[in-house]
Parts: sequence; C-alpha cells; structure tokens
Amino acid sequence: MLSDFGTIFLFILAAVALVSMMLGMARLLRPNNPNEEKLSTYESGEEPLGNANVQFNVRFYVVALIFVLFDVELIFLFPWAVVFGNEDLIQQTNGQWGWFALAEMTVFVGILVLGLAYAWAKGYLDWVRPEPKTPHVDSPVPTSLYQQVNEKYKKS
Amino acid sequence: MEPSMLQMPAIPEIIQLIPLKNYLILSTALFVIGIIGVLTRRNAIVIFMSIELMLNAANLLLIAFSSYKSDPAGQVFVFFIMAVAAAEVAVGLAIIVMIYRNTRTTDVGFLNKLKW
Amino acid sequence: MYPIILLSVLGIVVLFLGFMKSKNILLPATLLFLALALGSNFIDWNQGPLLYFYGMFSVTNLTLAFNAIVLISAFLIVAMTRGFQDDEEAQPAEYYGIMLFSLVGAIMIIGYEHLIIFFVGIEILSVAMYILTGSDKRNLRSNEASLKYFLMGAFATGIMLFGIALLYGATGAFSLTGIRGFVSTAAGAQSYILYAGLLLLLIGMLFKVSAAPFHFWTPDVYDGAPSIFTTFMSTIVKTAGFAAIFRLLSHSFAGIYDFWYITLAVITVLTLFVGNVVAVYQDSFKRMMAYSSISHAGYLLIALTALTAQTERSILFYSMAYSVATISAFGVLMLIAKEKSLDGRPNESYDAFNGLAKQNPLLAFVLTVSMLSLAGIPLTAGFWGKFFVFSSAADRGLIWMLVVAVLMSAVGIYYYFRVVIASYMKEGNTGKIRVAPFYQIVLVAATVITILFGLAPGFFEQLL
Repeated sequence: MLSDFGTIFLFILAAVALVSMMLGMARLLRPNNPNEEKLSTYESGEEPLGNANVQFNVRFYVVALIFVLFDVELIFLFPWAVVFGNEDLIQQTNGQWGWFALAEMTVFVGILVLGLAYAWAKGYLDWVRPEPKTPHVDSPVPTSLYQQVNEKYKKS
Repeated sequence: MEPSMLQMPAIPEIIQLIPLKNYLILSTALFVIGIIGVLTRRNAIVIFMSIELMLNAANLLLIAFSSYKSDPAGQVFVFFIMAVAAAEVAVGLAIIVMIYRNTRTTDVGFLNKLKW
Repeated sequence: MYPIILLSVLGIVVLFLGFMKSKNILLPATLLFLALALGSNFIDWNQGPLLYFYGMFSVTNLTLAFNAIVLISAFLIVAMTRGFQDDEEAQPAEYYGIMLFSLVGAIMIIGYEHLIIFFVGIEILSVAMYILTGSDKRNLRSNEASLKYFLMGAFATGIMLFGIALLYGATGAFSLTGIRGFVSTAAGAQSYILYAGLLLLLIGMLFKVSAAPFHFWTPDVYDGAPSIFTTFMSTIVKTAGFAAIFRLLSHSFAGIYDFWYITLAVITVLTLFVGNVVAVYQDSFKRMMAYSSISHAGYLLIALTALTAQTERSILFYSMAYSVATISAFGVLMLIAKEKSLDGRPNESYDAFNGLAKQNPLLAFVLTVSMLSLAGIPLTAGFWGKFFVFSSAADRGLIWMLVVAVLMSAVGIYYYFRVVIASYMKEGNTGKIRVAPFYQIVLVAATVITILFGLAPGFFEQLL
C-alpha cells in the first residue's frame, strides 16, 4: 500500500511523463524549417532590440517596493478574517465583537492608507515623474533677435 | 482573549508522519547555509538573500513547532516576521540602490572608506 | 503604553506636517510632541505593575523611568538638530518622523512581556536606525555605514529569530512568564534546545548593543553616520537594548543563572578589553566615542552578569549618566567639527579641539564635565554609575571581573583626557563659535544633570 507521499511521488512521475510525451510527439509530427524571422523573439510585432538583461529604470523599483510593502501587510487580514466572522464570539458578545473587530481593522487599514497617501503626495506613484528640462543656451545674442529672424522668414 | 477561542483543530495525522526532528534538522541546515552565505559572499544582494534564508529557516521551525503543539501562537509570530521582513527588504534594497547610484557596484569589498 | 500610541500617531502627524511650506514649524512641533509623550508616560506612575495589550506589555515604575530616560535623551538630541534647514537634500519631516517611530520601538522593548512585542519593537528601532544612518545620501561614508549596519543588523535579527523559534519549541510559550514557568521545571533545566535558543537570542541582542566579539560594525557605523544620529544610536538604542536584555534574563532565565553567567562573563571581559584598549589608538574623536560606547556596554554587562536585586536600578542610573554625558560630548563635537571642517568634511580629529578653552570656555567646560563623567571621576554622575555597577558585582562575588573593570577604567582615563588636554593645554585657534540658544540650553542642561547627580545620587533614588 502506498503512503500519501507515495501518491504525490506518482503524481510527479505522471506529470513529467505526460509533458515529455506530448512535447516529444509534437517534435516528431511538426514540420521543421526555421528562418530568421521565425527564430526572433516575439514582441507583439516589434523588432526586438538588444539583450533582455537590461537594467530597468529605477522608477520601476520604487513602485515595486511600495507594492511589496502593501502586499505583505495584507497577510494580517487573513487571521483577522478567521475571527471576524466567528459566530460563537458574536453571540457571546451580543454582536459587539463584529464592531470591535471591524474598528480594529479600520485603524490598521487606515494607517496603511495614510502611508499610501504619503507616497502619493510625495509623487512616488507617478509613473513618469515629470522633469522637464528646458535647454538653456548661454548666448550673447538676445532672444528678440532670434524672434525677428523667425518672423522675417515666416513672411517670405 | 480566552485561550479556548484560540484552540487550533488537532493536526491531521498525515503531518505527523514526518517526525519533528526532521523539521529541526532541515531548518537548522537552511539556517547554517544562510550564515555561510552571509560570511562568504561579496555581493550585497546575495548576502541579503542569505539573510532572508535565515529568517525563513526560523519561520519554518516556528511553524513546525506550532503544528506539533497545536498552538497557533507560533504561526501568528510567523505573520509578524513576514511583515517585518518585508519592511526590512524595502529599506535594505533602498540602501543598496542608493549605494549603486553612487558607486555603480554592489560589491561590499568596494566599501572600505571606514577602517580602523 | 500611552507614549507608544501617542508617538505612533504624532509621528504620522510630523510626516504630514512636512508638506507645509514652512519647515520651521517642524522642530518646535517635534519637541512639543516629545514633551507630550513624556507627560503621558507618567500617567501610569505609581499605579503598580500593570499589563496592557492582553498581557503582552507591562508597565512598572522602573520601566517608566527607562522610558523617561529615552524620551528625555531624544528631546535633548532633537533640540540640537538645527542643521537640517541648511541642507537641500535633507527631508527634515521624515527624519523627525522616523525618530519618533524609533522611540516607539525603544519603549516597546523596554516593557515587553511577550516575545512578539520584543521582536517588533527591536525591528522598529533598528530599521529606523538603518535609514537615519544612511540619511547623508551623497556621502559615501554614510552610505557604507548604512549598508554595514543594515547587513549586520539583519544578520543579528536572523540569529535572534532562530533563537526565539528554538525557545518556543522548548517551552511552547512566547510570554516571559510562560518561559519562566518551563525553566523552573526539572525538564526545563535540562533542555538543550532551550540552552541553544537562549544563546542564539542573547547573541542577537548583544549584536544590537555592540558587545565584543559582536562589536565590529560599531566603529564603522558610528563613524560614518551623521553625528546627530550617532548620538541617537549610542544613547537610545543602548539604553533600550540593555533594559531589554535585563528583562529577558531576570524575568525568564534567572533559574538557570549558572548556565548563562559564564558566557556573559567572558563576553563582558572581552568587551571591556576591546572597547578600552582599541579606543586608545584612535585619532578621531568620533571613532574614540564609538569604542567608548563599546566599553560602556561592557560596564553595563557587568551589572547584568551580577544580576542582583539592585541590577535594574544600577543599569538605569548608569545609562542615564552615560546618555547625558554622551549627548553633551557629541553636541560639542558637532559644533567644532562644523567650524573646523576640512574640504567641506567635518573635522572630527582630536586636533580640532586644540585651544578650545581660550575662546570658548563654556564649550570646553561642558566637554570636560562630560569626559570626566564618562571616565568615572568622582563628583560626576558617571562615577556613581560605575560605583553602583561595581558594588552589585561585588555583592555577587565577581572579584576577578571587578579587577579587570577597574584596570580598564584606568585605561579609559587616558583617552578621555586626551581631548581635555587638547582643549586646555595645546595651542590652536578654534575661533569664536556661535552657539544657537536652543543648543546652549541643551548643553548646559546636560552638564547640570551630570553634576547634580554626581553630587547627590541619592536624589535619584528618591525619584523612583
């Protein structure tokens, strides 16, 4: 008789066998005549440029960090959810329990929201942080002179 | 809170097929691998990953003990460790990125400005 | 308990105050909030031992006194932070907010009754410190200090957690009383898992208070961090950390004293030796202060190793004397380092103090008093701190440890007096240093406290 772990082992064996069988069959059946277009990476019809191992822009990293933080804090919702709807507790306290648990969680989520609001107000959530750089030229020629030239050629 | 309300259902026998000792050995092994990683690696990110491994070894041990004792306190502690570790990751990666911006490397050997 | 809630809320308020146009409101607001927290701390005064948060946090007069030391130190340190306004990169609201949050962590580990509170508190404190250490973003030294502190601190956290996990496995409890209950049984006194857990937990905690041989990060981090945050680290983290270790050992593990006392005694002697001897060879005052903080950790460890009925009071008095003296020493250092900066970098060597007494007698006096107190010369608070610590060790009969400690304090006199000699005897020109009124009040207050408790240590006993 197999133990339960033996069953899991059989599952793993079956999965490996099935996948290799299907891939192997496909390899035998399909026609194989590659060309350069076919071998290139599919990027929604765009020409692939450069290596995939490029460094990402730092702003992805800030967004990722904020995501990780808020994502992980949510694990506290799970134990809370278990006791929040506990009927025994609600009956023992005449329904007070539900309100108490809800208030506690509101405080917790409220603090998280404040954190998010802070990050938002600081501009860390803006996808493209606008930093307009106006090209600055140190030129002895006054701007009005350029404008005159522009005006002149516009007329002609 | 009354302890009665925190009672965990008895653990299924299937889990007890693996003796507690095995969990202890596995998590100690993970912990030691983590320590060796911290002591021998030069890249700040890899050191950091080793530290995370140490934390997870502790998590595994806590959960194993908690299941065998049918006591949820250990699992609650794991929640706290995970949440705090996430905060630590955020701060740590921010520090590493700050250094990378200034030096273009994450090799800790480069950091030798301060020596006795 | 009240300061925890108050500081958490007010920390968020400070963060959002940062959005206001004028940054000048931040400093007075933070000081006001700290004063409020200090006031709320005393609501529970003389209410007897109280338990909060479902028995996870305890309040007694002694923990309240530790809280008060931490909060007053923070108040004095925050009052010295005038420099943020000049720096464009600086985010004063975030620094003040993080300082308030870190105090929450400090208060949590002073009064924890359950290891979850302890763990969360110590992480709040350390994560805040990692950020503050690296707050000088463009400075490579600050970057490096921050990374080292972070990696070492997280490493220590990992060790500590594994220790907690083993303790839980052995005892089945996270609460200090639960652990004590198990330790006092016959099985508990023989449990090797318990021993391993206790050792790992102690190693992790000793890392955080920088006891040798886990001290190697301290000089680098203290040296690289901006001076104001070095002050914060070396006073508040140390006070809270020792309160936490004391709590763990006295409340849970007093039953197996014979097991851990040898380990702790070796660490104590090593810490005293490393801290004092290496401090002699430093050329930078700031780095010397880092080693001096290691050596003071050694003196505090003596009190822990002795673990008599008087230990908590002697730790309390010692950390008060040490914090106040350190704050005034760093206060003077910051002024001088800024005045004599070389190539835009603050000059923190001993030479910067040459000739200080001629043009700035007040600063020289403040510095001298704080050095005397750190060295443990009579008529200063530091002397009585050392006296209480040594007498509790004598009660326990740890004579050999006392001999080492007294020898090492003699070594201490050498390096503490170097800076006093530099400022009084050596020729040099420091120029007339202008001291902001707030700053002056802090320095004078710290000096007065040092002398007051040096003249009348019994006064302190009556306060409790």
